[in-house]
Amino acid sequence: MTFRLTCPVCGKRDVYEFTFGGQERGPRPSQEEQDAEAHYRWTQFRLIPNEPQEEWWYHGQGCGIWFRTTRDPRTNREVEDGGGTR
Amino acid sequence: MAGRADGVAGGATGRRSHGSRDAGAMGPPYAGSAGPPEGRLPVGPTCRVDFSRPLDFTFLDRQLTGFAGDTVASALYGAGVRIFGRSLKYHRPRGMYSMDGESANTLMSIDGVPNECAETTELRAGMTVHAQNVRGDPRRDIFGLIDRFHLLMPAGFYYRLFHRPYHLWPRFQNGLRRMAGTGVLDPHGEYGSGVRAERYLNADVAMVGGGPAGMATALAAAERGLRVCLFEKRGWLGGHLAWRVREFEGEPLHRRAEALAEQVRAAENVKVFTNSPVTGVWGDNLVTGFTVGTDGDPFRECHWECRAKAVVVAAGCMDRPLVFNHNDRPGVMQVGAAWRLARTYGVRPGKLAVVSGADDLSIEAAIDLDDMGVRVRFVADARESGQQDPAVFAALCDRGIPLLPGCTVSRAIGRNRVRGCVVVPLSGRGWRRYRCDLIVANAGMQPRIGTLATAGARLAYDTHTHSYQPAELPPGVFAAGSMTGLRDPRACEVSGQVAGLRAVQWCGGRVRGALEAVRREAEALSGPVAGCSVRHASGIGRGGKAFVDLDEDGTYKNVKESAVQGFDVPELAKRFGGFGLGPGQHRVAGQNLAMIMADLRGEPVESAMPTTVRPPLVPPSLATLAGPGHDVHKRTPLHAEQAASGAIFRRVGPWQRARYFSDDPTCRDEIRNVRTNVGVLDSSPLGKFRIHGADALKALQRVYISDMSRARPGYCKYSAMCNDMGQIVDDGVVVKEAPGDYYFTTSSARAGSTVEWFRFHTRYDGWDYNLVNLTDVLGSINIAGPNARRVLERVTGDDVSNGAFPYLACRRITLGDGVEARCLRLGFVGELSFEVHAPASYLRYLWDLLMDAGADFGIRPFGLEAQNSLRAEKGHIIIGTESEQRVTLTDIGLGWLWDREDTASKKVGAPALRACAKQPGRMKLVAFRVEEGADAPLDGSLVVDDEEIVGYVCTTRHSEALGWQYGMALVRKAYSLLGRRIHLCHEERRGQRVTSTAIVIPPHFYDRHGARVRS
Repeated sequence: MTFRLTCPVCGKRDVYEFTFGGQERGPRPSQEEQDAEAHYRWTQFRLIPNEPQEEWWYHGQGCGIWFRTTRDPRTNREVEDGGGTR
Repeated sequence: MAGRADGVAGGATGRRSHGSRDAGAMGPPYAGSAGPPEGRLPVGPTCRVDFSRPLDFTFLDRQLTGFAGDTVASALYGAGVRIFGRSLKYHRPRGMYSMDGESANTLMSIDGVPNECAETTELRAGMTVHAQNVRGDPRRDIFGLIDRFHLLMPAGFYYRLFHRPYHLWPRFQNGLRRMAGTGVLDPHGEYGSGVRAERYLNADVAMVGGGPAGMATALAAAERGLRVCLFEKRGWLGGHLAWRVREFEGEPLHRRAEALAEQVRAAENVKVFTNSPVTGVWGDNLVTGFTVGTDGDPFRECHWECRAKAVVVAAGCMDRPLVFNHNDRPGVMQVGAAWRLARTYGVRPGKLAVVSGADDLSIEAAIDLDDMGVRVRFVADARESGQQDPAVFAALCDRGIPLLPGCTVSRAIGRNRVRGCVVVPLSGRGWRRYRCDLIVANAGMQPRIGTLATAGARLAYDTHTHSYQPAELPPGVFAAGSMTGLRDPRACEVSGQVAGLRAVQWCGGRVRGALEAVRREAEALSGPVAGCSVRHASGIGRGGKAFVDLDEDGTYKNVKESAVQGFDVPELAKRFGGFGLGPGQHRVAGQNLAMIMADLRGEPVESAMPTTVRPPLVPPSLATLAGPGHDVHKRTPLHAEQAASGAIFRRVGPWQRARYFSDDPTCRDEIRNVRTNVGVLDSSPLGKFRIHGADALKALQRVYISDMSRARPGYCKYSAMCNDMGQIVDDGVVVKEAPGDYYFTTSSARAGSTVEWFRFHTRYDGWDYNLVNLTDVLGSINIAGPNARRVLERVTGDDVSNGAFPYLACRRITLGDGVEARCLRLGFVGELSFEVHAPASYLRYLWDLLMDAGADFGIRPFGLEAQNSLRAEKGHIIIGTESEQRVTLTDIGLGWLWDREDTASKKVGAPALRACAKQPGRMKLVAFRVEEGADAPLDGSLVVDDEEIVGYVCTTRHSEALGWQYGMALVRKAYSLLGRRIHLCHEERRGQRVTSTAIVIPPHFYDRHGARVRS
């Protein structure tokens, strides 16, 4: 498996240069309202959609930023060529 | 190479030319004699073998001679060897087959390396070649008798016969292993020698195939400024034109190939890789493959990956095997094999040949072989009369070679070599028998679909060309050349130009006008040529084996059996009968299998789908995949100094670190020196960071589990980081240097991912902070032991007394001639110690300074192993040794670090710690003391209660300072109470279980109240 991603700073690069940061699931929830079950679901529970998903990537072998991009897990490709945003 | 164009075959020349032509007379001189060597043909214009340079090699125990330019197989064949090995299951003699490495027939052991492809491996002087799957000489293989017992081995026999009674299985298996299989690996053998290189290429266009279409593509793209990488599996460019001498547009075809190759080599932005088979095309147009090194290459094999914007595939065609009785006999070969043996390698494939083909190329080959002095008795053509190209047909008639339309060879006669054949019309009525020593047969050509298939193209059966054609190509992938069904050389070239321009367009170039022009040119030329749908010869199976897959000994009968059992599509038949599982994979047998299967299901041939193509398309050696094997590591600034002191280095993460300074693995002297005197440790790999900015504290509060607002100037605050599961991932100290400016350390293993971690957990917040990784910028030396202060005092004018510089303080001090350093008073090893963090470039100076200052104390370096014993004695943990995935921060006794009140900063890991604070059944970290006289446990020994495993030992050592064996273990909570006896169990060498008893004691057994670190 190999594909390329578009880093908003460095442009299109091989996926080897990046670290996957999981699906986009919003900011860290407030800890007051979070019981154990909610926390478990937030950290462990993922739905894998059969459609493009927004996800986080870290350009560790490059500029070192975290960015969001929309990628289709069925084809591994970014939906929009160069769609990465910070 | 003789550049003569006379005497070439072709419609225009029409003279009977058996032996009348002597092209060799003007070729290069032959070694020792006037004519070509025995078994060889006169040198033609396309011959790549240099008969003036003989190369000696050994086959079995025979000394044979080949020539420079030969492959191992062509040299063997030229020297008269006809049986190259034995088949997998039936041990039938097998010989030359495709000259392109398409079958396991010619897999041999070369220089001790098994399964080398003799057909494509270049011959070198002094090679030792052995046949495989034989006892002794392949001509007299004892297991050849198995062939008679084929009735015991129907399709799927491996699964059907041997599963009951189960206890007999190992016997069957061992017996089968001896008789079947291919090469044998010597467990003590030296494999993978020679340099294995790797290359990472970037191109606009990756061109797979260096035939006329490939070269035309490369030129079309390069002319418009694109960077092209062209990969060709053979050692030269030209594809099928390289060995063809037919006149075409006023010159022989090979001349056209040479002219194109010259242009390609001269083109500035085309990089040509010959001897470079492609192993697959992966996501986003990554083409992978390898290059086999030749003389002058600095490597033996080089793996490469080429990331391209566009991929053009013009991989060409190969023969589709004709399925007939005994189609595996030595002396039966593909049309391309016989042709190239003669034209490329100057080897005489036989004296009296019968050609059975299904396209004009076979007829051209027959004419050419005849012209070279291989007498062709007749050409059987599976097509009906009238489908042949009139010019080619006329040339055949001129030579007096009869054409038998609608006929194929249906049986080979002879056991160890071909002595004759039977020819039957496809209608099945009337047969004739002929004497011959060579059967050149195919069922037409089939495209090499592998590259396109791995690229993700959807392939469908095309009833015009009777081949698989791409029905849908992935974005940026284009196909061209003879694989698309084109046969006219000009049409192949123009299709390459079209593909090249479309690739330019894909890459953003403006070529509309040019593309229109070449498209019109392509349309004017002849399109894809009608193919032949012959599946197999008539009357097969009766009284003989007709092989569909030679590698796995899969006969037509086996395919039928498989279909009868319900495994009637290729994917199922492959698993059941093994068709296409051998080294040749789907490549050569795939289309035949799919077509035959469609027939057996009673469905039209277009329902035939081949089995999934799996990379690698051509197997590289494992050593090449493993890579060059150079150890990429980091060295600390003090590497040389420590090496001079006798350090033994070990790889720890990315670093080479000093583990011992003597041969003693217990490091007794190093430990004693730290406990009673003073030692120095190179702790440079320690993670060192600066974080500054208005929101630096917020970021620290997020990732550290403690209240970081309590970090204060001049003092170290020890804390830890957890992940979302509450597991400890890192620990270290944080020093506040100014408002909004902090210096902190992480464990060595964590240094590389700290920036990622901070930024990940603050990615939504938009906080203003800068994080700088100083790990490589700053080195560090830990001076530890009761005499540490006295050594330090000699090299600094600053006050380092206990009053001015107490435990856990962090001060800026100046050392020696003015090196400014941060100095941290920490106690990881449990003694008075100072950790000096200074610019890496000054570290060697500081090391020498300290060693000189401490010389009369007897200062000496200590390594990681000594540090490990010392810190364990003190009860200090190492993450990953005393912690693991099942335990949280609180489980290992560091719960006191956690600021439970703070929920506002949303600390990473806090919710999990809260959730499992009162959870029953958790594991706890305990310290233990092994009872006097008991055997010493080992790291990893199990903690047991009767037969039940209740935990394991993390670290255990014998302490000289304490006089007993101590350790730390992770155990179930019920076993963690102070004073509890636990049983440690480990296996001794002779498989005996040894159990020792230990008592759970409070942690920090050495210097319990920390008087020494505070002294």
